Amino acid sequence: MNKILVSPSPHLHTKTSTKSLMRDVVIALLPAVVVSVLFYGWSELLVLGVSVASCMLLEFLITKYMLKKPCTLGDWSAVVTGVLLALNLPATTPWWVVFIGAVVAVGVAKLTFGGLGQNVFNPAIAGRVFLLISFPTYMTDWTKPAGFISNAAVDAYTGATPLGLVGEGGVEAIKGLDYLDMLFWNIGGSAGELSAIALLLGFAYLLVRRVIRPYITLSIWGTVAVFSGIFWLINPEVYTDPAFNLLTGGLLLGSIFMATDYVTSPMSNMGGVIFGVGIGLLTMLIRYFGAYPEGVSFAILIMNSVVPLINKWCHAKKYGR
Amino acid sequence: MMKTFSIGGIHPCDSKISKDCRIEVLPVPSKVFISVAQHLGAPATPVVKVGDQVKVGQVIAEPAGFISAYVHSSVSGTVKSIGPRKDLAGNNMTHIEIDVEGDEWVEGADLTDTLVTAIPEDNKEILDRIKMCGVVGLGGATFPAHVKLCPPPGKKADCLILNGAECEPYLTSDYRIMLERSKEIVVGAAIMKQVLGGCPAVIGIEENKPEAIKAMTAAVSELQATAKGYDGISVMTLRKKYPQGGEKQLIDAVMGRQVKSMGLPIDVGAVVQNVATSLAVYEAVQKNIPLVTNVMTITGDCLPMEKQHNYKFRIGMPLSYIAEYAGGVPEEAVKIISGGPMMGKAIANLDATTVKGSSSLLYLTAEQTVRGVESACIRCGKCAEACPMGLEPFLLNKYARNNMMDELEENAVQDCIECGCCLYSCPANIPLLDIIRLAKGDVIRIIRGRGQK
Amino acid sequence: MTTTIIWTIAILTILGVVLAVVLYFVAEKFKVEEDPRIDEVEKVLPGANCGGCGQAGCRAFAQFCVESSPNLDKCFCPVGGNEGMQKVAAVLGVEVAAKEPQVAVVRCNGSCENRPRTNEYGGYQSCRVKAALYSGDTGCSFGCLGCGDCVAACQFGAISMDPATGLPVVDEEKCTACGACVKACPKNVIEIRNKGRRNMRVFVSCINKDKGAVARKACKAACIGCGKCAKACPFEAITVENNLAYIDFTKCKLCKKCVAECPTGAIHAVNFPVVKPKPEAAPAPKPAEAPVAETKPKEE
Repeated sequence: MNKILVSPSPHLHTKTSTKSLMRDVVIALLPAVVVSVLFYGWSELLVLGVSVASCMLLEFLITKYMLKKPCTLGDWSAVVTGVLLALNLPATTPWWVVFIGAVVAVGVAKLTFGGLGQNVFNPAIAGRVFLLISFPTYMTDWTKPAGFISNAAVDAYTGATPLGLVGEGGVEAIKGLDYLDMLFWNIGGSAGELSAIALLLGFAYLLVRRVIRPYITLSIWGTVAVFSGIFWLINPEVYTDPAFNLLTGGLLLGSIFMATDYVTSPMSNMGGVIFGVGIGLLTMLIRYFGAYPEGVSFAILIMNSVVPLINKWCHAKKYGR
Repeated sequence: MMKTFSIGGIHPCDSKISKDCRIEVLPVPSKVFISVAQHLGAPATPVVKVGDQVKVGQVIAEPAGFISAYVHSSVSGTVKSIGPRKDLAGNNMTHIEIDVEGDEWVEGADLTDTLVTAIPEDNKEILDRIKMCGVVGLGGATFPAHVKLCPPPGKKADCLILNGAECEPYLTSDYRIMLERSKEIVVGAAIMKQVLGGCPAVIGIEENKPEAIKAMTAAVSELQATAKGYDGISVMTLRKKYPQGGEKQLIDAVMGRQVKSMGLPIDVGAVVQNVATSLAVYEAVQKNIPLVTNVMTITGDCLPMEKQHNYKFRIGMPLSYIAEYAGGVPEEAVKIISGGPMMGKAIANLDATTVKGSSSLLYLTAEQTVRGVESACIRCGKCAEACPMGLEPFLLNKYARNNMMDELEENAVQDCIECGCCLYSCPANIPLLDIIRLAKGDVIRIIRGRGQK
Repeated sequence: MTTTIIWTIAILTILGVVLAVVLYFVAEKFKVEEDPRIDEVEKVLPGANCGGCGQAGCRAFAQFCVESSPNLDKCFCPVGGNEGMQKVAAVLGVEVAAKEPQVAVVRCNGSCENRPRTNEYGGYQSCRVKAALYSGDTGCSFGCLGCGDCVAACQFGAISMDPATGLPVVDEEKCTACGACVKACPKNVIEIRNKGRRNMRVFVSCINKDKGAVARKACKAACIGCGKCAKACPFEAITVENNLAYIDFTKCKLCKKCVAECPTGAIHAVNFPVVKPKPEAAPAPKPAEAPVAETKPKEE
């Protein structure tokens, strides 16, 4: 026998690692990726490819040559950021815009803060919001490129997102929209917003694998439903109804995959609920009263900056106290 | 709905490989080394001289303080030397070396198998016997049993909890005694219950040990039917979750009460004793046999089934002797642990000897036990989710690395029970407990220092 | 357009004036009276905030100096040294006696070669964590644990781990004898000793209190407490207690008689000039922590 190993207890360790958690997130995103590729075809594949590849490349180059730290490419976090960023962009986004988004996401939002675990803002959201402000024309170009399969409902509304339609034409513009259709394939919008079912499938997977806790996501949904429900009941002619608000825009994508990002969300369950309620409120305020038709990204970004404060005030229930 | 503790907890694979191995008796080696520090508190003072003849069960060291315990010879023979010897952590500790000659017990020890169910009436006499027989808690902390059984004035026990949870993976010694010595354990429980003023006694066993639950339930009902003084003893099935066997967790699970920070179980009316301690109490009170033996598990995934054992050992046996007798240390083992894999101690020195609280020789392979490379905290909160005390290890880790003592105290680092759930569940392999354990010691020292002012 | 600009300028100006007045009164009201000499003393201090003086930082030390002035005997800044204390004394207009310069000395020679590893440590790389767990990864339960807590504690970059020996090395030039490493070491391996005449020092590089045979088995360079050095010392500077020799640096006259006597080479003499060129001894041009004595008894 060789020299025996001595270390403090515990002597067993869970099989879950940062890498396996991140990989699970990628797996959970797969349904949404598959649906978006099927509908948007080659152009979506290009966006995905450019996004993931540039996120990984940037992570590698910056950690190795600029920060001179051990390379963190192996933890899959760059892949997650890449996929999420791609799903947050329209399929028609030119490759160089995607690349700039990746630079902002990985280079600015993530690594300037010290890399995984240190960033204040969700990298993918930061990238998306930067692009939304800098390249509004590309970011709201909802012309549908040729996909691998076609669907009448999708094709019919080409040219604008449902929320965009409401913004321009009021509630009238979306009369006749079939919610069942929206559950399966949404109309126009960022690649990842296409299918609610695909995203919910990913949510179920994350919960089953215990990657995330449901508090943040559910409290966002609850707040959005309650808030829009109240307004809708007051005046259904002006305000959209709860189901519409839950199913459209990046709400599902944002609430399941981006608001629940470990690093940029509160640690405690109570904090998670506060965080979720804040996102829900801000989203609905922007949707109803703001200049932008869509508010999830902004809401998450704003609430990200409040997380340290929430963490300071919300602690877990301690034994015997 | 099965009961369990309310905060945190983890579910490691229970790996009770050796659960079907009957308890075997280890032969006595030619020489034993008995440590004088086999209990929590001050090491005992040797009362024998080199050259003295001793019998099995004879006192060889006396308690050196209120929280201390008698140490008895586990063999008969001649005291060869008294001096420093390395314990399993490699630190020097006074050991009494005895050359074995024959196996002659002290007078009065009842070595027969007959079950004695009649409990002595005088509580003072019972406590005296428990103390004189050197009984200590065998659940891990080795706290002198008689101290725990005398609640301080003004405090009253509402419930005696017998800990049969054995929530540590791999360990099966408590399970085996619950199967093989069930009645003796129940008698021990009845004795302790009587000493505590007749409060109810609950034997808590985790759901993954159905045979033990059956055996203990049968023993309780049989004794209740045939003898007096056994009312109010019951068996409670607990949901499997680590660290169920932690004192504070078990009180929460069984009684639904929580001990205050820095408080004692008796503050909420609870007294917790391990089932093995109960057996030792039985032997001490009913049979007059001091605590010189205990049961330990020899196990590990890398051991073939025929080399898995549950042994009744005598204190002072070198671990290397036991390992050799059990078939040698397996090739694949990189770490040998005394105790469970979550809270046990890694053995640095296999020549160290068994003590009263020894519970296993556990062989772990490199794949199982070597820690991964530490990476950045991703703030997943899994440590906080796992912590059974509701602490936030990620935060304590941060404060401890920056020596922020006030913040550590505010965030209750002193409540840490060192169960290892945080380090077990950390996906980034951050040595949370290593760091928190030190900080806890520092903070407790500060708090105590403040109390003395 | 112009009105907008004028209004803006006007409002900002009024705001500025009002706030300035408020700030002035607040500053007056909450002014803390402090001895101005504290600031002056702090200016001449090194500003390392190492705590080597026993105070919480340089500011606290400055306050301590001012309070204990004119008697500065209890005040000593190890970083600034005698020179620094002269400056402090000058600021306060008092006299201060010079102190013997000191340096941190690592009293363990349990290199990988001298002290074979008996097990492997797999926990957090910290001497304190390791010491709390067990006696260490060698047979010696007293010596250096090699995780470098002293290196981390040193604010002056004066300590580094020698990868060849696994032991810390003190850079005498940088060491200020602040004692941070002494506090950081859970095994008390490091001692602050007088630097000695022309930096020459003789010390026992071992703190093993085990019996001779046990200590020798664990480490080839261990002090076995044989007492030969104590007998050889003409100045009664060496005491042997608990199987361990200790040289009192205030009594040692650097005669090096003990070095020659020591059977294990546990006594080190450093920074002595090489008297005559020895055939096998490699001459060290820059006297670092190169133990001359160690090369004498060739260990197998």
